[in-house]
Amino acid sequence: MDINFTKEDIAFRDEVRDWLANDYPKHVKDKTDNGIALTKDDMVDYHKAISKKGWMGYNWPVEHGGTGWSASKLYIFNKEFGLAGCPPLLAFGVSMVAPVIWTFGNDDQKQRFLPDILNFNTWWCQGYSEPGSGSDLASLKTKAVLDGDNYIVNGSKTWTTLAQNADWIFCLVRTDNSGIKQEGISFLLIDMNTPGIEVKPIITIDGEHEVNSVFFSDVKVPVENLVGEEGKGWTYAKFLLAHERFGIASVGASMRQLNKLKSIIADLDNAELQKKVSKLEVSLSALEITELRLLSALENGGHPGAESSILKIKGTEMQQHLSELFVEAAGEYALMYPGPHGYESNDKPAGPDYAANSLSAFLNLRKTSIYGGSNEIQKNIISKFVLGV
Amino acid sequence: MDLNYSEEQIMLREQIQKFCESEYDFYKREEIVKSENDFDPSVWKLFSEQGWLSMPFSEDSGGFGFGAIELSILFEEFGKALVIEPYLSTIVMSGMLLDKSQYEHKNELIENICSGKLHISLAISEVTNKYDYLLADTTLTNENVLNGTKTLVLNGANANKFIVTCTKDSELTLVIVDSDADGISVNSFTTIDGQSCAEVSFENVKISQSSIISSSDEASNLVKEIINIATLCISAEAVGCMESCYLKTVEYTKGREQFGQPISNFQVLQHRMVDMFVESELAKSLLFKAMLEINSNSDDKFKHVSALKSHVGNSGKLSAQDAVQLHGGMGVSEEMMIGHYLKKMVAIDALFGNADYHLKKIAS
Repeated sequence: MDINFTKEDIAFRDEVRDWLANDYPKHVKDKTDNGIALTKDDMVDYHKAISKKGWMGYNWPVEHGGTGWSASKLYIFNKEFGLAGCPPLLAFGVSMVAPVIWTFGNDDQKQRFLPDILNFNTWWCQGYSEPGSGSDLASLKTKAVLDGDNYIVNGSKTWTTLAQNADWIFCLVRTDNSGIKQEGISFLLIDMNTPGIEVKPIITIDGEHEVNSVFFSDVKVPVENLVGEEGKGWTYAKFLLAHERFGIASVGASMRQLNKLKSIIADLDNAELQKKVSKLEVSLSALEITELRLLSALENGGHPGAESSILKIKGTEMQQHLSELFVEAAGEYALMYPGPHGYESNDKPAGPDYAANSLSAFLNLRKTSIYGGSNEIQKNIISKFVLGV
Repeated sequence: MDLNYSEEQIMLREQIQKFCESEYDFYKREEIVKSENDFDPSVWKLFSEQGWLSMPFSEDSGGFGFGAIELSILFEEFGKALVIEPYLSTIVMSGMLLDKSQYEHKNELIENICSGKLHISLAISEVTNKYDYLLADTTLTNENVLNGTKTLVLNGANANKFIVTCTKDSELTLVIVDSDADGISVNSFTTIDGQSCAEVSFENVKISQSSIISSSDEASNLVKEIINIATLCISAEAVGCMESCYLKTVEYTKGREQFGQPISNFQVLQHRMVDMFVESELAKSLLFKAMLEINSNSDDKFKHVSALKSHVGNSGKLSAQDAVQLHGGMGVSEEMMIGHYLKKMVAIDALFGNADYHLKKIAS
């Protein structure tokens, strides 16, 4: 056993740090560091800068234009970006739809979609959840009926993250109602500019417009936008979930928050809070090593499988607990909440600078234990596949 | 980076597991606990034959030179089987302290420890020192006369010798003394987890100059280092207990039928068992960190052990409590093994500083 990274890994870490110090777009950094919401243009600039460095395909194999990085390098990349306070990379294109396209799509689809994802020319969003289909995703009802060379899509999707910015949406749609519910699902790629699509904002409790409802009324989707076989969408959806395990623990980002929190409470003389922070510090170390153990098993030819659900559960709990302690540290000034775009007047109320951002993060992060398979679903997965009950 | 056990380490674990299954099942353990001094010399002889008594000592002292990884494997497996043999006190706390010291007579002592003939207990706790083992009210005069009382001397009743911390010329000093020397009285009792333990009083005990192992900064460093390793060992033991707690609970709930079905079908129990599994894995991760950093040159080696100890103190007790709860009435039956894990977790939390103590150490 050896807990240290190789020389090559350390050199790579330095390269990442170098990029973060010199090429991470400054206007994005300034806003993010000060808790100001990013615009669509900011997000595009940020992703294009990463593309330019050749890192957009950070979790792709070389044959599709990716980096082909080892699990260690992927870990380092995620951790350093988190430590530097960078916004998480949008997963929908690069980490979610792309692996499905290169694994199950045809050559034409690979050529049409993958280069644009690598260069961040297209912004993707995910059409999974529906008003009546949350954790029981396979019950989805959005219907796609074949009519000549097109599918006609009717129905609605919800909680669609940043659909207001998206050029494309990948959707699970129902193409058959006759068998068991998992078997009649297909995987469709839909251009967001197609007539009949309507995006309506859902404002979350932090006051932010991050998620949306997306309505489909007789939307015509060319049959060549079907990925793989009709009726196999559920298999592809499960594949996609299994593919996206790296970085889910958000260790780097949580370490950054923990360090901030430690410097805040150093001045507070609050033993109760200090104890809670120390507890989180221990938990974060446990989370980090758990992720490294899984990566190490993976590099050794093992299959971490359902154990990676631990990372989802504990990683999201960690983010939430950290944000709760920022709010506790802010004390009575936690009452003052400006919303995601800052105070309108220049007369900032009294209280510590971190108070406003703390509230916004605290509220925003409630989503983490709900999305990506809620933490209760993760426990069901562990229960079934690890404990065998 | 490689966090996989080597083949040799996996084999060592299997060897210990097999031994515990065939030679140290719960009934055998109960017999030992009920015996006079909570100790079975024939089991200790088997330990010696397996080579375990020589495992952590340097090759210069006639040991195998195994490190913290192997020691942790041994203690994890001891935790699973709830082994109560005095490995911690004789081998880790006393033997390894001697091995790391510059004491001129250490080789002979270690040789006798390895062969299973000699038991030494480290006497460091006092009513007044509250986990700060660098403090000692026990005194050694300029004429080398020892006076004082040590509490919680693990395996004290079975020890042939004691290594005692004392203050001489206001400096910490380590001396070794025969347990039957004039002026020593031993009052033995059993701990909550079935170990032998003693209060040992020293009244005008004469110590020869050649019995002084170490003094001053060197003595303090030895004590700090040994307590750190011993804390790692009992934490590894706790990790083993936590794994057994969830595995045994899963097995039990699968077999226990109520309302016409195995109670493992109920989601409320499933999620509790998942929590036990997750906490066990997190504890294992902290064990990895602590054992791999134990030889670090910085204070990190203490910090990561404290992180591990605080975690197992909190979540280990909770897991064992959940295991008892999910076993229902069987969980609180003395004749079932499961309740004994709870006793073990309480004992581990209490020893060498509890969860709160170690959390405070992390913050300081």
